[in-house]
Amino acid sequence: MIPVESESSTKNGIKVIYVAKENILPFLKEKKEEGFDTLLMISGVDYKDHLEVLYHLLSSKNNTRIIVKTKTDGEVDSVTSLWKGADWHERETWDLVGIKFKNHPNLKRILLAEGWVGHPLRKDYPMDKKQYVNLADDGEDTVSFDRGEGY
Amino acid sequence: MSDSILVTSLDEALKWGTGKSLWPFTFGLACCAIEMMSAMGSDYDWARFGSDVFRDSPRHSDLMIVSGTVTKKMAPRIRRLYDQMAFPKFVISMGACASAGGPYVRGYSVVDGVDQVVPVDVYVYGCPPRPEALIQALKMLQDRIVAGRVKH
Amino acid sequence: MMGRIQFPSTGGRGTDMEDKVIEVNFGPQHPSTHGVLRIKVKLDGEIIVDAQPVIGYLHRNAEKLAEMGAYPKGMIYIDRLDYVAALNMELGYVLAVENLMDVQVPERALWIRQMMVELNREASHLIWLGTHGLDMGMLTPFFYCFRERERILRIFDEITGSRLLYNYFAIGGVYSDITPKAIDMIKEWTEDFGTKLEEIQSILGKSYIYVSRTKGVGTLSAEDVLSYGVTGPMQRASGIKRDLRKDSPYLFYDKVNFDVPYRTEGDVYARFLVRIEEMRQSIKIVKQVLEKLPQGDFYNKKYSKPMLVRLKATGESYVPTESPKGEFGIHLIGDGSSIPYRVRIRSPSFANLSSIPTMLKGYKIADLTAAVSSIDPVFGEVDR
Ligand code: SF4
Repeated sequence: MIPVESESSTKNGIKVIYVAKENILPFLKEKKEEGFDTLLMISGVDYKDHLEVLYHLLSSKNNTRIIVKTKTDGEVDSVTSLWKGADWHERETWDLVGIKFKNHPNLKRILLAEGWVGHPLRKDYPMDKKQYVNLADDGEDTVSFDRGEGY
Repeated sequence: MSDSILVTSLDEALKWGTGKSLWPFTFGLACCAIEMMSAMGSDYDWARFGSDVFRDSPRHSDLMIVSGTVTKKMAPRIRRLYDQMAFPKFVISMGACASAGGPYVRGYSVVDGVDQVVPVDVYVYGCPPRPEALIQALKMLQDRIVAGRVKH
Repeated sequence: MMGRIQFPSTGGRGTDMEDKVIEVNFGPQHPSTHGVLRIKVKLDGEIIVDAQPVIGYLHRNAEKLAEMGAYPKGMIYIDRLDYVAALNMELGYVLAVENLMDVQVPERALWIRQMMVELNREASHLIWLGTHGLDMGMLTPFFYCFRERERILRIFDEITGSRLLYNYFAIGGVYSDITPKAIDMIKEWTEDFGTKLEEIQSILGKSYIYVSRTKGVGTLSAEDVLSYGVTGPMQRASGIKRDLRKDSPYLFYDKVNFDVPYRTEGDVYARFLVRIEEMRQSIKIVKQVLEKLPQGDFYNKKYSKPMLVRLKATGESYVPTESPKGEFGIHLIGDGSSIPYRVRIRSPSFANLSSIPTMLKGYKIADLTAAVSSIDPVFGEVDR
């Protein structure tokens, strides 16, 4: 048994479990073996003083769901070894919230152009500082703060 | 004297022909594209107005309908597609997003207006514009082509 | 019907495949990408060795923008997620907000919501069917589907006042009551849509070309479905019988009778059959709602419109709903102010689309459009 830090629940009764960040991979593995076979999503929340990663798990046989949370300062273990679908969700969380996933096979931006500066869903992201994207000849995006040729 | 009359009337005929045989480009971006499809579909049937053949390649088409939000990642690609179209070419900017950023204008990755990317001939307002509005824009564009008041 | 080819294969041209692989770029502008999907396809001859989707061409910052305004304001961005099934999106948001704030909703409003959501599911599946036909090289179903869809849109137009993006569900109810004229329109629609559906189904389902291009193509096993988090009709076509309307009923889905169609083949044809059958079940639900619709208020008088923007909330909530594409829900976190602290959107198409590499590997390039369109991706929702 992996120790649980604390438990609570959402307003409609989905169990929320807090786990220490070192234990997240073994804990989720344990949960997967218990029958939580679907990873619905991974999301990140910026609480200004720390970041949180949320895993929504669903057991399709027992029809139960839990939310596993962990507090971090910007890095957690990747769970791509457990669920293939975690790949995109982790890339998205890295892209928008800026949480690094250790041992992720391909941790690149997914929604924004590669080379974008900053992570927009952080609360301190400067919304008024515009970035401009252009297309290089090899088909890759280029990003700069300078209006120049970009859009 | 007789020369100029001949040239002018040929020009008129060309303009009339261009206006009545616009080939739009199958190019959907976002929600507005669904209304564009409705305009093509059974109820509205915009083939009635001489703009029937939707083309899948930019090289075959002369009307680009920018139907949806232009994001920063997409904008250079829209420019590239526009550059691949053959002259004469026209652009209809459909909806609030394509015209001015729409509800997403405060966002970090949305271009506020496709006019920064390609020259626009007709703007259509609405979020999304009803198919009737798009058809009106098409008629307006045709009138402009016949009158010679277009950008390209 | 070739089916999936296992690697390493000769690919028809010798054994050493690595140096003969070419890379083809599909999209972001292509008539069968359903928007702005781009796939980097690696081909050995005609056979797909690897397919990597590239998304983000419609990233419209819905989450960030919803975190910048009051709770009811977020609705306009939620509406535009899955723009062909906007009411289903609204429902996910409205249920989450009501749950967070403990808002009581009158029964009539809930029934109206349920009916509208089912009608919208119908419209969404019709769009899918029409464009799926286009992708398979058949123009006819497109016109049939759009004719039927326009009828549903006229009903929406009558009730909500707009055709595509409605902003109809309000916190505490709905914005306007359904009119007697609308009820007549819906009744008329429920009566003959079934036969129209049969007609449309027979155009595709009885075509030898269509069937042979879709049977055994783009298969996804049940393990892959679970591993990728694929939900909705795609999941049910792969033999996992899960439907949130049955498993964890919201609204009044436990008070109506309907079946959950499922197949075990997991290919494009199975997805086609599942969606068609779902449309039949939706008609059934709409009929029952019309019978059971109670009289009463259509919104909670306590939550008048000007007051809505001042609503405050704390805590968190996530209410899963069954959208036409799969499980949709919004994880809302409130910090006690009138602006949501975090709006996290669980988007079904995003997870469904991430299964493309597994789904396409080993098939021919000609199967690509069939498989991609069978996912029914809507990019407003994939890229958010
Ligand atoms: S104008 Fe409105 S309907 Fe059109 S793309 Fe923008 S948000 Fe969608």
